[in-house]
Amino acid sequence: MTRERVLVAMSGGVDSSVAAAMLVEQGYDVVGATMKLFCHGDDVPDRPCCSLDSVNDARRVCEQLGIPHYVLNLESRFGHDVVDNFVEEYARGRTPIPCVRCNTFTKFRDFLKKADAIDARWIATGHYARVLNGELLRGVDENKDQTYFLWGIDRTVLSRLILPVGGLDKAQTRARAHAMGLEVIADKPESQEICFVPDGDYARILEQRLPADAPALSRGPIVTSRGVIVGEHNGFARYTIGQRRGVPGGFAVPMYVVAIRPEQRAVVIGTRDELLGNGLIAREVNWLADRPKLGESVSVRVRHRAPLARGEIVRLAGDELEIALDEPVSAITPGQSVVLYAGERVLGGGFIESARQKRTSLPVLAA
Amino acid sequence: MAIDPVYLDHAATTPVREEVFEAMKPFYGPRFGNPSSTHRWGREARAALDEARERVGRCLGARADEICFTSGGTEADNLAILGAWRLLKAKGRKAILATPIEHKAILGAVHQAAHEGAEERFVNMTADGVVDRASFDKLFDDDVAVCSIMWVNNEIGTIQPIPELASKAKESGALFHTDAVQAFGKVTIDAQKQPFDFLTISGHKFGAPKGIGALFIRRGVHLEPLMHGGSQDRGRRPGTENVAAAVGLARAAELTIAECEAHCAAMEKLRDKLEAGILAKVPDAVIHGRGVPRAPHVTNVSVPGTDSESLLMALDLRGIACSGGSACQSGSIEPSHVLSAIGVRPDLASAAVRMSLGALTTEKSIDRVIEVFPSLVAKARQMATAE
Repeated sequence: MTRERVLVAMSGGVDSSVAAAMLVEQGYDVVGATMKLFCHGDDVPDRPCCSLDSVNDARRVCEQLGIPHYVLNLESRFGHDVVDNFVEEYARGRTPIPCVRCNTFTKFRDFLKKADAIDARWIATGHYARVLNGELLRGVDENKDQTYFLWGIDRTVLSRLILPVGGLDKAQTRARAHAMGLEVIADKPESQEICFVPDGDYARILEQRLPADAPALSRGPIVTSRGVIVGEHNGFARYTIGQRRGVPGGFAVPMYVVAIRPEQRAVVIGTRDELLGNGLIAREVNWLADRPKLGESVSVRVRHRAPLARGEIVRLAGDELEIALDEPVSAITPGQSVVLYAGERVLGGGFIESARQKRTSLPVLAA
Repeated sequence: MAIDPVYLDHAATTPVREEVFEAMKPFYGPRFGNPSSTHRWGREARAALDEARERVGRCLGARADEICFTSGGTEADNLAILGAWRLLKAKGRKAILATPIEHKAILGAVHQAAHEGAEERFVNMTADGVVDRASFDKLFDDDVAVCSIMWVNNEIGTIQPIPELASKAKESGALFHTDAVQAFGKVTIDAQKQPFDFLTISGHKFGAPKGIGALFIRRGVHLEPLMHGGSQDRGRRPGTENVAAAVGLARAAELTIAECEAHCAAMEKLRDKLEAGILAKVPDAVIHGRGVPRAPHVTNVSVPGTDSESLLMALDLRGIACSGGSACQSGSIEPSHVLSAIGVRPDLASAAVRMSLGALTTEKSIDRVIEVFPSLVAKARQMATAE
């Protein structure tokens, strides 16, 4: 019997390395590939992902596993689908989530084409999520679960996707790496930051890519939700909903960024209560299960690692969706994702367009 | 894998020949001496080195003192370009003339010279990948200090009329270098009859190990060394000489020259068969540089509607080793600067697959490629249209 071929996306990190090793153990014909998504040049030697060292680590792991390794150049596609969008979103006063688009377009679409080219029946990654009977499930390790970033992939991908570490927790994954002798990568630090933003300074990327006089990077007023100007900021793209840093002091209670109004270049601040939303509208909705019905009650997550909340689907139109939350949720941020779950099953998700503060809706955040 | 793997990447590197390996062995054993030492061990090593120099020289129609051993093609190219330019800039000649299809070693050295004040001039190429003579003549004036033109292109195999271009350069008093890394053993090289000043060869392209090459430096032509230190090789290339590799280079060069005619005829026959076989099944495949004289060991083919990255992966997984453009540091394939420079459409450039023949190429291996390559192409195109 010929073994089924699987193309594994290998970042050089512990999760995807263990994923590849597990597939080798399971008897698959494993081919490793590292996606080169952008080029830092030589000046960022210790980035956890996509740097030369990471490619070398992936190559060494493959060598150790006795499997071929390739580097796939997806720079121009990633630049267009992910980085350009990242910059545009900030320019529109939103807080983008590039990992979702990277998964949707780069990792699970472009990569699948490479798998087709080498007759690979399967693709695999080191994501903490599970695929069962054509459905996407949260990873066993609730703390590491990455389904928040995976809702946008094509549903058809699920029938070709293997997520070997989704049934493990991170400690188990590291233990496996040690047990399998993958010392090269077993204790590598986590990559939490956005891979193409060196040292986490995303504003620098915007400064490089937007014109010097871009409104998003230009001075504007900091106002309260009642419209009182209380200060000045150096570009609304430097702010996100829920942020406290850069917010003027001198108020009786802590103040947070509660909205960004790009048309006035304004950053709106308010109290903790003003951060609460009772609903949200999402767009570019994608379903990974049969489309739920209007009025259906679902679990939702509006931010990575945020606790699950309950809500009801109150509107479904085209690729748009509105959810009314049972309890208010803090810092619902345009540009971030909302992911819908039924138990541990991922139903689908979308990009948050706007939050609904109340049914009677406050002008500040009304859509 | 039950089927024999097929190595079709001889332009990247070749296996060390058994005779070469044997010739080198004593220098990793009893004849380990340093050629600069005055004792018996040193004298033995020195004798071997001098002899190697003479033998390499003979293969190029050159004298022993005209051969400078280097670590390979890149060092030789850098030494020629930068070494010559740094001396000549004092005399007021500011320009360096090259083709845009040079190896990165030349392009990198020319850019470095530009950093140091040189004026870069790049000659236009025809769509077939040879120097556009009108452009060459137009760009050549008394300002040109160094002109460097590769004899055989490493990606598409096209041959430049080096003797003719070198003569032109000499008329106007410029120094002429040619990167003959892919040309050695494929075209006739004779320093006595051809007026180039510098010529680069690289051992691992013809059966010697990696890490050894040579620069021919015509007697009476001076250059500034890149490195500073001892007086080895008349101070042109300080550092204890790699005696074993130099001996290996000499042996490989001699074997290559002796077999040149038969080998080239055999390669040409197989290359033509390969191209005909591919074209028969993929009639719209584009073979770059096909209309001009080419070295017999390289073919570069682009099939519309495919991409080289996927094809190379699929070929490798079927046991067939070819290459794309030049690999960058990470190992990912960058679009070929050579194909862009000769005006190949971007979609065709990103589909290019280079197959290069050599010692390991047999009739059987060519048959296998003729069978596998078109089937992979058909599949890739089917997928592209299904999208």
